[in-house]
Amino acid sequence: MPNPLIDVQNLVTHYGDRLILDDISFGVGEREIFVVIGGSGCGKSTLFKHMAGLLRPTSGRVLYSGVDITGMDEDELAAMQRNIGIAFQSSGLFNSMSVGENVALPLREYGGVDEELIGPLVRLKLSLVGLDGAENLMPGELSGGMRKRAGLARAIALDPPVVYFDEPSAGLDPIMASGLDQLILDLKQLLGITVIIVTHELESIKTVADRILMLDRGKLIFLGTRAEALSCDVERVRQFFDRRPDASMIQRSA
Amino acid sequence: MTEVRIQGPGVLDRDSGKALLENVVECRMDGVDALIIDLSETQSMTSPGGAWLIKIADHLREREKELRFEGQEGPVAEFMELIGPSFAAAPRVDRRHEGVLERIGGAAWKSTVEFRDFYRLVVDAIYWSFIAPFDGRGLRWGLLVDELHEMGVRAVRINFLMNFLLGLIIAMLSAAQLETFGATILVADLMVIAFFRELAAIMTAVVVSARTGAAIAAELATMQVQEEIDALRGMGLNVSQFLVAPKLLALLIVMPCLVAQGIVAGLIGGSVWGIGVMGIDWEPWLRESLNAAQLDDFVQGMLKSVIFAFVIVLIGCHNGLRVSGGSRGVGLMTTRAVVMDIFALITIDMIFALMVYYVL
Repeated sequence: MPNPLIDVQNLVTHYGDRLILDDISFGVGEREIFVVIGGSGCGKSTLFKHMAGLLRPTSGRVLYSGVDITGMDEDELAAMQRNIGIAFQSSGLFNSMSVGENVALPLREYGGVDEELIGPLVRLKLSLVGLDGAENLMPGELSGGMRKRAGLARAIALDPPVVYFDEPSAGLDPIMASGLDQLILDLKQLLGITVIIVTHELESIKTVADRILMLDRGKLIFLGTRAEALSCDVERVRQFFDRRPDASMIQRSA
Repeated sequence: MTEVRIQGPGVLDRDSGKALLENVVECRMDGVDALIIDLSETQSMTSPGGAWLIKIADHLREREKELRFEGQEGPVAEFMELIGPSFAAAPRVDRRHEGVLERIGGAAWKSTVEFRDFYRLVVDAIYWSFIAPFDGRGLRWGLLVDELHEMGVRAVRINFLMNFLLGLIIAMLSAAQLETFGATILVADLMVIAFFRELAAIMTAVVVSARTGAAIAAELATMQVQEEIDALRGMGLNVSQFLVAPKLLALLIVMPCLVAQGIVAGLIGGSVWGIGVMGIDWEPWLRESLNAAQLDDFVQGMLKSVIFAFVIVLIGCHNGLRVSGGSRGVGLMTTRAVVMDIFALITIDMIFALMVYYVL
């Protein structure tokens, strides 16, 4: 891909001695919904954390518009991360703050927003994710789907060009999950953002993905568009999309 | 019905949105019922731009004027549709004022419920610790051994140090007073009586409530938050049997040992000052110490240690199991457990002192 927004080059990472990601390279284009898939424990979440600068790799580089983030010091990295919104799998909302305060936090901390505008901006972000009127609720009072959406509202608070979404539809009912998929498509359309989603929900992948990357035991085994993925004849990819079990679960985990 | 029409900017962003609000504020609205913002020339808008529109809506609502948007097309129309709900009034924080009686009643009811929960926990804990094991219903021995190690063995060093230092302090303090009477040898008596009756038990209990009490509350609170307690209940297992009884038995065994160790450490601390610094011969010091040592006093200290153990475990468990509301709740309940521990320890100690000196 020419001039990708995010360029991952030869990423290798370990946890202790264990190899987690083995020489991964790919690019993510602007205004793209890029989906990372793979079975449990294949390194999806680790890749996600490396791309967002939350972990440092053993070797390899992650470039944002040509700038390498793996070599950055804390301050540079923090400045860079303002351009990234992250919605975590378990929402990552601060329990001690109301939903509105959670969304207002990055706006206040990073400044650049008139104090009088913070209230209306919070209301706007919450209604973008369909949570209008929820600003005074505490995270503990929200359902799973509402928590995910509140986490997303916080992630897009600073209008970042790149939004990461870890397992958006895991643990949600099909109605809520498809609503969230639609929301992601809407936001991409309206805000012109690049969305990187880590998931293993088939329906969600088939709805939102522009391009798909599949990992298997730390290796990149597929990279291509959604149509290519659906017609791909790599056995492991087929197995994933056809929802076929392994011949022996025990054999694979050994 | 009179209306005023304002033209929206080509790009509605932070700066043009602010200008638009200023425009609206300056606009003469006397006798005007509605304001129309014409977005037909607006090609794009950002979220701060949208937020300024919300400010405008708030401004007009305060003045009881109507606000309408017209002419928006394409992406701007979509954006406006999506943020539409936020033009409604911000939800009010509902702070209902409670009367004095209501508050007193609420507090009384809350304490009643809490007392009932605590009472149930105590009964359950006693059953699963002392009756069920003899009834052939299992105690988790492996866990008991783990707890003995964690609560006891790992507390030995810090407990020794704290009591040793307290011994030093008390020796210094009393030596300075008794010197004026030329009775410094009585420091030995005082050390023995003080540590047998009071100081070792209290100091050790403070150390244990800070270590073990806080740990118990935090552990159970985290388990509660992460639905582990519900998982136990869901498997038909008893929380008191699995979590409370091993801790209670372990601390009941460990606490008297730690207090005994505290007595030794405190007396060593006193001797270091008396023999080492004040220069009293070790023979009369030892003789005085042995003379002062009474079985009654020792028993009193030990009895207290057992009661303290009971209190620390049950208060820790009680607060841990009461947690609600995630990480913040865990912190609050752990703090509460330690504060309640210290308060209970001092109160119990005072009751003991009253009984021993004035009642018995």
